[in-house]
Amino acid sequence: MAANMRGLTQFIADIRGARVRELEEKRINKEMANIRKKFKDGNLDGYQKKKYVAKIIFTYILGYKVDIGHLEAVNLISSSKYSEKQIGYLAVTLLMHENSDFLRLVVNSIRKDLDENNEVHNCLALHAIANVGSSEMAEALAEDVHRLLISPTSMTFVKKKAALTLLRLYRKRPEVIPAVEWALRLVSLMDDQDLGVVLCVTSLIMALAQDHPDAFAVCYTKAVDRLHRIGIEHEYSGIYTYYKVPAPWLQVKLLRLLQYYPPTEDVTLKSVLNETLQTIMTSSAEPSRNVQHNNAQNAVLFEAISLAIHLDTRSPLVDTAAVLLARFISSKETNVRYLGLDTMAHLAARSETLDPLKKHQGTIILSLRDKDISVRRRALDLLYSMCDVDNSELIVGELLRYLKVADYVLREEMVLKIAILTEKYASSYKWYVDTILQLISAAGDHVGEEVWYRVVQIVTNTEDLQEYAARVVFEYLKTPSVHESLVKVGGYILGEYGHLIANEPGYSPIEQFQALHSKSQFCVAPTRSILLSTYIKWVNVFPEIKPQLINIFERYRHVLDAELQQRACEYYALACLPDDNEMLQNVCEEMPPFPPRVSGLTSRLNRKMTDTEDKRTWIHGGREINLEQQQMSTLVRSKQAELPVNDSTTASGTADSAVLNALAGLDLTVPSEAGESAPAPRLTVGPSIDKWYQKLTYSAEGVLYEDVQIQIGIKSRFQGYLGQLAIYFGNKVSAPLTSFTSTVYVSDSAALSATFAKIPANVLAPRTQSQQLLQVECKKVFTCPPILTVSFLAGAYQSISIRLPVIVTKFFEGVKFGQADFFERWKLIGGFPREAQVVFPICLDAAGHIDLPHNRRIVSGNHFEILDGIDPNPSNIVGAAVLHTSVEGKVGCLLRLEPNREAKLCRLTVRSTSEEVATAVQRLVETALRME
Amino acid sequence: MIHAVLIFNTSGIPRLTKFYTPLHQSSQTVVQKIFSLISVRPQGLCNFLDAPELEAFLGPKDGSNERWRVVYRNYATLYFVFVVDGAESELGILDLIQVFVEALDRSFQNVCELDLVFHFDEVHHILAEIIQGGLVLETNVEEINSSVQSALKARKDSFISSNPLALGGSVGGSRNGGLPTPLNWLTDRLTGVSGR
Repeated sequence: MAANMRGLTQFIADIRGARVRELEEKRINKEMANIRKKFKDGNLDGYQKKKYVAKIIFTYILGYKVDIGHLEAVNLISSSKYSEKQIGYLAVTLLMHENSDFLRLVVNSIRKDLDENNEVHNCLALHAIANVGSSEMAEALAEDVHRLLISPTSMTFVKKKAALTLLRLYRKRPEVIPAVEWALRLVSLMDDQDLGVVLCVTSLIMALAQDHPDAFAVCYTKAVDRLHRIGIEHEYSGIYTYYKVPAPWLQVKLLRLLQYYPPTEDVTLKSVLNETLQTIMTSSAEPSRNVQHNNAQNAVLFEAISLAIHLDTRSPLVDTAAVLLARFISSKETNVRYLGLDTMAHLAARSETLDPLKKHQGTIILSLRDKDISVRRRALDLLYSMCDVDNSELIVGELLRYLKVADYVLREEMVLKIAILTEKYASSYKWYVDTILQLISAAGDHVGEEVWYRVVQIVTNTEDLQEYAARVVFEYLKTPSVHESLVKVGGYILGEYGHLIANEPGYSPIEQFQALHSKSQFCVAPTRSILLSTYIKWVNVFPEIKPQLINIFERYRHVLDAELQQRACEYYALACLPDDNEMLQNVCEEMPPFPPRVSGLTSRLNRKMTDTEDKRTWIHGGREINLEQQQMSTLVRSKQAELPVNDSTTASGTADSAVLNALAGLDLTVPSEAGESAPAPRLTVGPSIDKWYQKLTYSAEGVLYEDVQIQIGIKSRFQGYLGQLAIYFGNKVSAPLTSFTSTVYVSDSAALSATFAKIPANVLAPRTQSQQLLQVECKKVFTCPPILTVSFLAGAYQSISIRLPVIVTKFFEGVKFGQADFFERWKLIGGFPREAQVVFPICLDAAGHIDLPHNRRIVSGNHFEILDGIDPNPSNIVGAAVLHTSVEGKVGCLLRLEPNREAKLCRLTVRSTSEEVATAVQRLVETALRME
Repeated sequence: MIHAVLIFNTSGIPRLTKFYTPLHQSSQTVVQKIFSLISVRPQGLCNFLDAPELEAFLGPKDGSNERWRVVYRNYATLYFVFVVDGAESELGILDLIQVFVEALDRSFQNVCELDLVFHFDEVHHILAEIIQGGLVLETNVEEINSSVQSALKARKDSFISSNPLALGGSVGGSRNGGLPTPLNWLTDRLTGVSGR
């Protein structure tokens, strides 16, 4: 389109024609002056404004600073012509940054374009917000963007842009986006038919789910389902294959999303996921000729391997992955070597055993000498991660050897890593001191201060080490050229521990003094001041060299450096005190050990995380570091999500102190507002919902819910502590229900588990019924029934939450007793607290009698065996049953129901060996009997 | 997230610079720095560069342990460079560069460096259909192309409506069309092009 602005084309041609930079600048200055004048005169029509702004943009792209045209760009945005609007928006996104004052002027124009019924204008506005959106825009426009995203009438390309724009606004101002409230609605968009929309929505959800993992938990199932459909069922539209790989970007995104969640417990999901990952790994076993195809396939493969490692490092999948990785790191293709090493570092960081990796140690060490620095870096990271006590001497030795020839840019990081490994995996003190001093002498300038601080700390705190350290450091000082860091270490160690070796030949005080002092003239002032401190310590322990030392103090009293001068004066005064004065001795007491603290080295390597950015799922380093990191974040989260319901004070108390211990000395900031623990879904209310539910508590099948759109029915079967519910969903309207999602919420997952047998289809065709099997297992006594949440899109988004008729009596099995047996047990259990009793009013049937069959139905519906002939009164009911649980075993329960026709009252007594069961059963049976 | 998309030629002259995160350096310096790192890398090395020395130029805010990586690809005289963080798959970005080039090729029919110079705005529009605010928007060349075409059509309509007398309303980045495009009109007059 620059094409139809002749002046602009001419301008570009002129600049290209300019042979030297000066001519180019001259031409640009001339043009800018001209434009400035034109703008000042005003009275420009749209075309002229557009042309001049385009020229300004071009100048800006060339890298020149431009300070005009902002206002004109803002004007162009509100033009009604698309071509002018487009240039205006381009200028705004390029010339302005998010804090620019001019942006205030465009908020209203942008809103107008967002609300307009014209998709191309919507797109321009969305794109502008996504690029320069400020927190102010987030406040003003988040609602409009959200509306465009969820509106069923939005075109797919608008939806895509809206999803990413919303993400931008969330990153700018998380608090203006009610993420938890919108969660289910947003997740439902992951079922969109257009894979492009799914890709963008997944990006959005990935960011939101990291902050609110529980609210977005459904996305886990959706992601697994989508991966399964793409990878195994090949269900995708043809245009989304990229060089024969189906939707690689989407697959990568989904695989990444799953890594932000802890490995799933759900058996069904696990097996589906396993199958999918297995397929990805086997299908990419044979590389093809086409570079593009290989790239795309490997992109998916590497992400799949990362996910497999994240899920379970002991699974056979990871073994397969390890074999693949081993092949990759010796691949001819540099990209593959690079990523192979990177992923291997992930494996090393998480895996419990490093044995499979150690087989390839040789190859990895060779990679340190790869021709590509990027690969060398990855090899270094991997060696750092896979180091342990067994191979530390080898790896550190290899790194030290490589350090001498390594690139300058690599050295500082290498030094840090070597220092950390040496400290962490030292097999002997001797080796530690040797290595670290060798490191300091070899790396010289690349040794950060932390490294030698740490040496001093360790030597001071380890008594066995001091003598040896003093001897070695002295040997280093005797060599002609010594790096300054080594002089610092030498000064400190000899000052403190020089006297330990002074009696041996060759290590006499005067020799120590000469070796150290000969280096002093090459050192900077701070190092010299360390040496002065060494000398005053020597005055205390080596009286034989006192004259030489006093001589030095005297000379230093006249240097210009204030610090040195002051030290010299003070030390001189101390040294010249009479011999019987104890002052000197007190001052020069041996240093006490340092308080134990976390090495400053690791904290320098692992700096803290930022908030709304995507987090890394692992860090370089051994398994412990990663475990620690994980614990830290989960603990922090559990601490923040202290719910009033949570009455386990003891548990949270210990967790707190663990957090404090773990945090001591570490600078790890709390990740921003960690997720709210999933609250129970709010139940849908309706006149008949309770009745349907109650009826199902004592019958095996029936209707659970029904409205104009959908009907939900249940058939159930229970056997021991296991049960199976077939849930039927019927679509009653003539349009499909899309993004059909059903989830089950269990408040106490330690007592009851409920899982779907397979991932359900996400579309419910018009006027059809689908069935889902739910497996339940009773582990302990529970009181709250699971809650089924069904959501779908039928034009608008709808969601229904209802209780499932899974109650504790469903796991009862009736038992038969004779009269004597029954009463024996009844008495044995005894009264309160193992008895629960209640008296409540009842209704009589039409004839004014007690509705005996109804009562019997309820009692036997609750899986009690009704024992006839035990109670002489025929309208009373006596029952017995045993509860099966998988964890707590069996619990017996007896029941007695005594209705009184005259008083219209009824007495219900339940006795059980477990107090909990007695109360729970009494409540359940009572509610069922009262319900009419 | 993608933090920057750059295109520069083998002499280091930028043809497209698009930053998705605010810089604390002039864009010129960043381009020069990246160019100096990439141009010395011979063929056959990997397409990724994680360079701590870049951190001072475009590194993330202090206190993030995220290291940015440079993913680049060389096509004829041009380098396509993406600066990304750890949340992006390296190979995925490499593929995305290919998609970007294919999309450019669709719109310009056999794209060359000159197209990027004279149709800088169009290049930005195409990029906007692929990446938005640092995130991948669309990866499918067909889809990208159809979005670009619909924008082109909207532009054409607005052009015709405002210039009812214009001949044919030849607008757009494509070099087809009845009239001789201004590009031909220009290339005749260009002599001694130094590469600027």
